[in-house]
Amino acid sequence: MAAVASAARWLFSLRAAGAERHWRRLCGAGLARGFLHPTVTGEDAAQRRQVAHFTFQPDPEPREYGQTQKMNLFQSITSALDNSLAKDPTAVIFGEDVAFGGVFRCTVGLRDKYGKDRVFNTPLCEQGIVGFGIGIAVTGATAIAEIQFADYIFPAFDQIVNEAAKYRYRSGDLFNCGSLTIRSPWGCVGHGALYHSQSPEAFFAHCPGIKVVIPRSPFQAKGLLLSCIEDKNPCIFFEPKILYRAAVEQVPVESYNIPLSQAEVIQEGSDVTLVAWGTQVHVIREVASMAKEKLGVSCEIIDLRTIIPWDVDTVCKSKESIL
Amino acid sequence: MAVVIAAARFWRQSRILGQAALLLLRRPGARGLAISHPHGQQEQFSSLDDKPQFPGASAEFIDKLEFIQPNVISGIPIYRVMDRQGQIINPSEDPHLPKEKVLKFYKSMTLLNTMDRILYESQRQGRISFYMTNYGEEGTHVGSAAALDNTDLVFGQYREAGVLMYRDYPLELFMAQCYGNISDLGKGRQMPVHYGCKERHFVTISSPLATQIPQAVGAAYAAKRANANRVVICYFGEGAASEGDAHAGFNFAATLECPIIFFCRNNGYAISTPTSEQYRGDGIAARGPGYGILSIRVDGNDVFAVYNATKEARRRAVAENQPFLIEAMTYRIGHHSTSDDSSAYRSVDEVNYWDKQDHPISRLRHYLLSRGWWDEEQEKAWRKQSRKKVMEAFEQAERKPKPNPNLLFSDVYQEMPSQLRKQQESLARHLQTYGEHYPLEHFDK
Repeated sequence: MAAVASAARWLFSLRAAGAERHWRRLCGAGLARGFLHPTVTGEDAAQRRQVAHFTFQPDPEPREYGQTQKMNLFQSITSALDNSLAKDPTAVIFGEDVAFGGVFRCTVGLRDKYGKDRVFNTPLCEQGIVGFGIGIAVTGATAIAEIQFADYIFPAFDQIVNEAAKYRYRSGDLFNCGSLTIRSPWGCVGHGALYHSQSPEAFFAHCPGIKVVIPRSPFQAKGLLLSCIEDKNPCIFFEPKILYRAAVEQVPVESYNIPLSQAEVIQEGSDVTLVAWGTQVHVIREVASMAKEKLGVSCEIIDLRTIIPWDVDTVCKSKESIL
Repeated sequence: MAVVIAAARFWRQSRILGQAALLLLRRPGARGLAISHPHGQQEQFSSLDDKPQFPGASAEFIDKLEFIQPNVISGIPIYRVMDRQGQIINPSEDPHLPKEKVLKFYKSMTLLNTMDRILYESQRQGRISFYMTNYGEEGTHVGSAAALDNTDLVFGQYREAGVLMYRDYPLELFMAQCYGNISDLGKGRQMPVHYGCKERHFVTISSPLATQIPQAVGAAYAAKRANANRVVICYFGEGAASEGDAHAGFNFAATLECPIIFFCRNNGYAISTPTSEQYRGDGIAARGPGYGILSIRVDGNDVFAVYNATKEARRRAVAENQPFLIEAMTYRIGHHSTSDDSSAYRSVDEVNYWDKQDHPISRLRHYLLSRGWWDEEQEKAWRKQSRKKVMEAFEQAERKPKPNPNLLFSDVYQEMPSQLRKQQESLARHLQTYGEHYPLEHFDK
């Protein structure tokens, strides 16, 4: 027992991904339950982290995009990046630690496949990463920048808000950085505390000139990320890190696009509209079924997907149909 | 022995000190330090003792405690070709440029000077809202621009109008941007002097300082990937060099091996802040080696020195895919802008010294006179002609209307989103009802 306890203590001191892997082996927790839910009760329960619970709800297998493959969120990101680099010879991926595959394994295999001039590490400097990415995009090449955690995007805030967002407008459309996409792990994970859990989309939500996109699942993520990369405006793509391994779905192997600035009504209802994005879509699904069961309330659920420019029409139409 | 055991523990290898741990310690790193010693452990230890193994630095050990003294008394020397009277000091450094080219230098600098005087005055008279002159720094602009290819991409800060002037940007367009009229390629959206020109590969100026530095590096990286044989030049002042973006740009350029020229105009002031309050080291040039960047300091008021340094930097940046840093020492003779009165923080005598004793235009004129390529007659004629050209462009610019208010809403995104379209329509309706309260007669219909 003492050995198990001391082993558990050592495990907690490791970084998120590694800790999780070891944790699973100890508890035998299944993937479908979401990795946060404690599965062992009794005297060991005191040793486990007590965290909130939600269940990832996969969407039905898409039929219209060809052959699909079981992928988790980070694999769907890798697939999107793979498709992008394959069809766009100017596309490059850069940021901290992307060369070896990334701290969340989103870029595994890409450097070997596409070369060190296309998938490369930069020095540890977010303002530099985004500024550098803007410069690549100004020449017309496709720049896919990674900010290691959304919590660290703030040094790049000036480059994003004062430069990227305004490049086209201030130059009278002589210059633009539309081929820039910034990707970043986003949102709570249970143990990330102040600096590995942030959801900073609100800081960007009123900055005209950029697009901010947040997917709820692997299938959504690949299609939305491909749309961001191909979009002619600078985009920020936040990836819910808690879903990187917890969310598994059938995802098309080939390229496909999900349109930006289009919300999705994922459940129709008649009494109240619930709007969510990212991880919270799954939480709110559970809320909707609890509301139905306990309060007899019929909820309409909208996944906003693009935060700015957001789909005002779908949300308003939903309100109208309810009133 | 104790050292090795401690090292093994630190690396979390087996608790038992084995040959395996030793081999790991001996593994040759990037510096290639491992020397094979087939005999006993003693020889292996002594090779480790002699050479540092740290991945972070390639250096020898020293057993004397000594802090490196930054050299600010006798800093990096300043390269020059002409003396203050425009005479070539070392003939082997004379670029031997043909007469037409040197005359183009002179005419670009003087035309810029003339335009500056007239536009500064026009702000004083309330005709334009704001202006920044380039007095004293014309040599940095023209010398460097002349050393580049016309297709080399330029990222500037705000005091590089001479680069555009050298690339034959028409007076009409300088004025259009300052007046914000319908001819402005920037569609009248920015404050004066925020020029941009796609055709002449001059990226539009933005007000935040130093933001262009990492961007220029990215553009250079893309040029390298495209095998474009293009260099990117990035201008900034010694004040902007204090920004984090400057540090970011230098470091990225060096680590990612980008063909870029960093051109710092050290003009002594950042608005009212003198260099003694901007940095404590030996200027900007001394920072270059800290990043692994080849650096030089030049006399920015010597147009040939600027030319030579930029030319060589360009050649090598493209050939070797590495950054270069040029710190051009100069002096800001004018105020920071029309919103500034520099007599509040510096003496008129100091300014006069530079204006009279060390001005890039005067020095080049002395050179031209001594070569017999210019004379007083031509000087008088040119002054009259350049003034006339500027006045004509100025009067025309003044008469043109401003851009259509619809242009407030376009180009925010490549496509206009519905929210902005609704705002645009809302403004149009508002102007229909209340248009009399707006100076609509000055705007394009």
